[in-house]
Amino acid sequence: MKECIAMLLAGGQGSRLYALTKKLAKPAVPFGGKYRIIDFPLSNCVNSGIDTVGILTQYQPLLLNEYIGNGQPWDLDRLYGGVHVLPPYQKATGSDWYKGTANAIYQNINFIERYDPEYVVILSGDHIYKMDYSQMLQFHKDRNADCTIAVLNVSLEEASRFGIMTADADGTITKFEEKPKHPESTLASMGIYIFTWSKLREYLIRDEEDKTSSNDFGKNIIPNMLADKQKLVAWPFEGYWKDVGTIDSLWEANMDLLDPNVPLDVWDPSWKIFSRTSGHPGHHIGKLAHVDNSMVTEGCEVEGTVQNSVLFAGAVVAKGATVESSIIMPGAVVEEGAEVYYSIIAENVVVKKGAVVGAKPEDVEDKSKWGVAVVGEGVTIGEGAKVGPKAMLEKDVKAGENLW
Amino acid sequence: MVNSNAIGIIFPNSYDGLIPELVRHRTMASVPFGSRYRMIDFSLSGMVNAGINNVTVIVKKNYHSLMDHLGNGREWDLARKKGGLNIVPPFAQSNSKVYHGRVEALNSILGYLSKQKEKYVVISDCNVVHDIDFADLLEKHKASGADVTMVYERAEIPEPIKTDNYTFTINAEGRITDIFMNDYRLGMQNLSMNVIVMDREELIEMVRDAMVRNYVYLERDILGRSLGILDVRGYEYKGYRSRIYSMKSYFDENMRLLDRENRDALFPDARPVYTKVRDEAPVRYAMDSKATNCLVADGCLIEGTIENCVLFRGVKVAKGAVVKNCVLMQGTTVEANAKLEYIVTDKDVTITANKTLLGNESFPVYVEKGTEV
Repeated sequence: MKECIAMLLAGGQGSRLYALTKKLAKPAVPFGGKYRIIDFPLSNCVNSGIDTVGILTQYQPLLLNEYIGNGQPWDLDRLYGGVHVLPPYQKATGSDWYKGTANAIYQNINFIERYDPEYVVILSGDHIYKMDYSQMLQFHKDRNADCTIAVLNVSLEEASRFGIMTADADGTITKFEEKPKHPESTLASMGIYIFTWSKLREYLIRDEEDKTSSNDFGKNIIPNMLADKQKLVAWPFEGYWKDVGTIDSLWEANMDLLDPNVPLDVWDPSWKIFSRTSGHPGHHIGKLAHVDNSMVTEGCEVEGTVQNSVLFAGAVVAKGATVESSIIMPGAVVEEGAEVYYSIIAENVVVKKGAVVGAKPEDVEDKSKWGVAVVGEGVTIGEGAKVGPKAMLEKDVKAGENLW
Repeated sequence: MVNSNAIGIIFPNSYDGLIPELVRHRTMASVPFGSRYRMIDFSLSGMVNAGINNVTVIVKKNYHSLMDHLGNGREWDLARKKGGLNIVPPFAQSNSKVYHGRVEALNSILGYLSKQKEKYVVISDCNVVHDIDFADLLEKHKASGADVTMVYERAEIPEPIKTDNYTFTINAEGRITDIFMNDYRLGMQNLSMNVIVMDREELIEMVRDAMVRNYVYLERDILGRSLGILDVRGYEYKGYRSRIYSMKSYFDENMRLLDRENRDALFPDARPVYTKVRDEAPVRYAMDSKATNCLVADGCLIEGTIENCVLFRGVKVAKGAVVKNCVLMQGTTVEANAKLEYIVTDKDVTITANKTLLGNESFPVYVEKGTEV
């Protein structure tokens, strides 16, 4: 028996990441030099003492399955418990894709029951944050709650983008609104829930019986529990948290790692973020290189100029090349004299000699035309080609072609 | 990967005496090398890359750091039910005395050796970092029909090992006709790389015979005396190698990895070098930091200036500090405005603020593990 297990929702396509999630699920998107997004919730689990995690996959699961493997990098290879990848499967009564977040958990009730847990933590695989779930669980137990929702205090302007809780002084939630036009409160749901399992089980079964339900935690389960006067409490979280579901937020979250005030500290030895590593030798900064305010990972070869950027394992920045305010994912090559500004360059992209990708905001007159440029996995940008800001490339660009 | 039909035996303590400072708390095999590795990673990874999945490490002394490094061998894919990594400490055997010479060491594992199924044995020390293609070596050994194949390189004998080396005389057919011990001749010689391939059962016989005659050394006492009876051949290694025989060579060989072509030679894509994973975050270069020609492992934080350095995992260089031509091992901290030149720091050394430490190109200064300067 396990006191508490975690279920991690990792089936989302992440359609707003476009070219970056064409071949992989959003939780597998590389982040912060040597991680993938899913490393954050997984490491949080292990660091919080949760050793049983079910990962619900659906969209493009190949890379994610391979990456998780037996869970050893996260210390989740256990005799009893550990990490399990749970795709939808065929049952005697038929088979179904996961229809919604709640349905995904519903379809895995048998998995959860194997561990006979008292509590279940529901997590999403697309948030970057460090959180001690054991503190949240303590709060849940202290309040004798049926459901505890982690909440973040956001500004009033931002509030209408989130699910907003209204809670009384001791944290009991009295009202929940999904993306309200006129928010009553600024406590935003972080999509992290702890349920008393017996209670959640009951609501999952009831929700499944309701044919009109969209089988979603935010839209159905939480409102139903509230309507039934179950005890729902808000657990206030303070610290860094970012939903990296869009190109801009993914870019910003990477840039946050470079902030001298370190809002997101991945260097803290007491809360390590674990990942499956590449096994490259140390990175090399060349004789003519210039590296400023950047993160560089093992296996990189830097001969050019790198400013305010994050270089992933094995990225190459050749002589005379410039990389500024950009994210260069594993194995990408920026050749001699090429320039990359405010861009996300995906895995194994080659930016050939003299090509230019993206632009600095100050170099674009019409600000509405400026944005982060994205080059999808494995794309080659031909010699001397030009790719403007806000680009979203999934196909090779010919030498000399001008896409600005 | 084709089954290599060979087991590996690694001696981690050979040549410890050449670098007394570095092995005070460890073995030659666990001496840190090349920003994130230990000496043993190269022979061990080489064996694994050639399909040798059954490797015995016969330790002698100071082996805590090595045990910690190797663990159950998982990082080298050697956590196996069949074969895998087998660490033999000296007191695991009934005759509980520390071995002396390889014959005794091998004698202590004869029971184990005779139970293995593989036909061949590959024996290696850890004092030379190399990228030997063990698969090719085994192939050549099998094809030649030799009893024993010994790996050598064409090199001059470095001064510090003129009293501790083996060289070979090799005839036109590639047969070794003479093995010299402590060769002191000038000029290019066939210098042993301390890697030997032979038949497992033949090795068992040799060790039994040698024990009866009270022989100590495998090369000198057994192979050297049997060249007339056995077909012993040389296999020339022409690839990249780093031979560690002094503090100076340790420093120089680390520095040589600052050249891209040397890194490419030692770390070819086809044969990765595995090591213990430490889950360090990527390196952070702060604003106004300056780095030129440096090899840096993950987990470092650079706020000051580094030039021509090899930094191991988790090194911190604070604002205003200037570190030139140094090898800083894991966990070294250089505080604000300190100046370092030609220094080798062992693990967890702290150089406090405003200190100046200067070595010389011909004499890099070593700072012992855990020291605060």
